Amino acid sequence: MNCTQAQERFADLLDARRTGPDHAAVRAHLASCPACQREYATLARTLAALDALPAAPPSPALRRNFYAMLEEEKLAAAGRPAAFRRPRPALRSALWRWILAPAAAGTLAIAAFLAGTRYAPPAAAPGLDPATKRELAELRARVDSVGQLVGYSLLQQRSTSERLQGVLATLDRKDPSQKVLSDLIGALALDPSANVRLSALDALYPHANQQLVRSGVLASLPREQNPLVQVAMIDFLVAARDHAAAPELGRMARNETLDRAVRDAAQRGLAQL
Amino acid sequence: MVSFPATDAVDPADATLSDHELMLAVRDGELDALGELFERHHGPLYGFLVKFTGQRTAAEDIVQTVFQRMLKYRHTYRDEGNFTAWMYHLARRCAADHFRKSNAAPAATDPADLQDHADDAPHAGDRAATSDDHALLHTALSRLDRDDREVLLLSRFQELPFAEIAAVLECSVGAAKVRAHRALRELRDTYFQLQQERLT
Ligand SMILES: [Zn+2]
Repeated sequence: MNCTQAQERFADLLDARRTGPDHAAVRAHLASCPACQREYATLARTLAALDALPAAPPSPALRRNFYAMLEEEKLAAAGRPAAFRRPRPALRSALWRWILAPAAAGTLAIAAFLAGTRYAPPAAAPGLDPATKRELAELRARVDSVGQLVGYSLLQQRSTSERLQGVLATLDRKDPSQKVLSDLIGALALDPSANVRLSALDALYPHANQQLVRSGVLASLPREQNPLVQVAMIDFLVAARDHAAAPELGRMARNETLDRAVRDAAQRGLAQL
Repeated sequence: MVSFPATDAVDPADATLSDHELMLAVRDGELDALGELFERHHGPLYGFLVKFTGQRTAAEDIVQTVFQRMLKYRHTYRDEGNFTAWMYHLARRCAADHFRKSNAAPAATDPADLQDHADDAPHAGDRAATSDDHALLHTALSRLDRDDREVLLLSRFQELPFAEIAAVLECSVGAAKVRAHRALRELRDTYFQLQQERLT
């Protein structure tokens, strides 16, 4: 075997799959040829360096974005009337999966925090101070006039996943400002993505004891078109024992144009209130 | 770990299912199965794309787009398909879109962007040299012709047999092997030359 023949087989020799034919002849040549030894060694060193090139893990945003995208697609599939059977269990499990996926201690703590507060009876509603009333009136105006409504900060993020991250970023604030809460209500009322709206509603659960939050959810309910989100909002208001929601739930229970599951949820909610 | 209610016949977290079985489940409407495929594959795919594009943000964007297209085109996944080959096929097309849009040669690698890749040197004393070597290798990679870089990087994925690489690249197995080896020789020449330049 000469040098050219030997070097033609280096590719097979360097391939870790080792699927090529027997290399005994190449190795015999290598043992006796310094030029080929040099050629082989430099190639092997380069490959070793290439294989050893460290790859930092992708940022956590990649996983979050992926599961947000998956949710979006599942909601789109579930939004088709025929598929609207058991949306909530599937939705919940998947939401928890991507919230929990990074399994970081902090994330778990937030989840535990949410789980602990979500279904706890909200504290008695405090009386409305003038500032809250003003904010509420302003919010209603914003919710009622979609046209000029791009004022809220989450909408300025371009992609769905970025807006979703904006919502998720609020989850670790135990004591969010009124601005944050009003942004979340803005997202609930106005975001074009059902997934973002549902996440905003999830983020609002721990603050259901605040009048501002309950009124915001109630004000957003008539605008909502997606049955999944409608049912989730009804559940929210019923869990928060918001008696102010009764008239709206009554209207929804009687509204024949609404999805059957939504009317049922409104009916059930009325009975519980 | 938290357990989730199984709502369908296929448990997407079932580790015994093959990639192919999971992707067939996705195709048939069990979208959660894509989560398991993501968990299995996004790391290596990301590593490939970082080396291929030289940019971590671009690599993340492309990984996201690849999985997005898997959902969008799930109906086209075939019974006799091969998931890994399909994934790299999609990744290749997404990367081509990326290069066309950015309209910039990947030689625009920003070493600072990749610098923190190089923090795994076994000994602190070697760190500077190792880190420099990594930067040089990234530079050498970025100087390869894009097709050469692609075939070389693909050839280092042991879970991807050459027959599948050839399928991804739409050429024969022999041609894929020859191209990969030629690319390796070019990389070696550039890499060693850069090392020489650093010494002088
Ligand atoms: Zn020789």
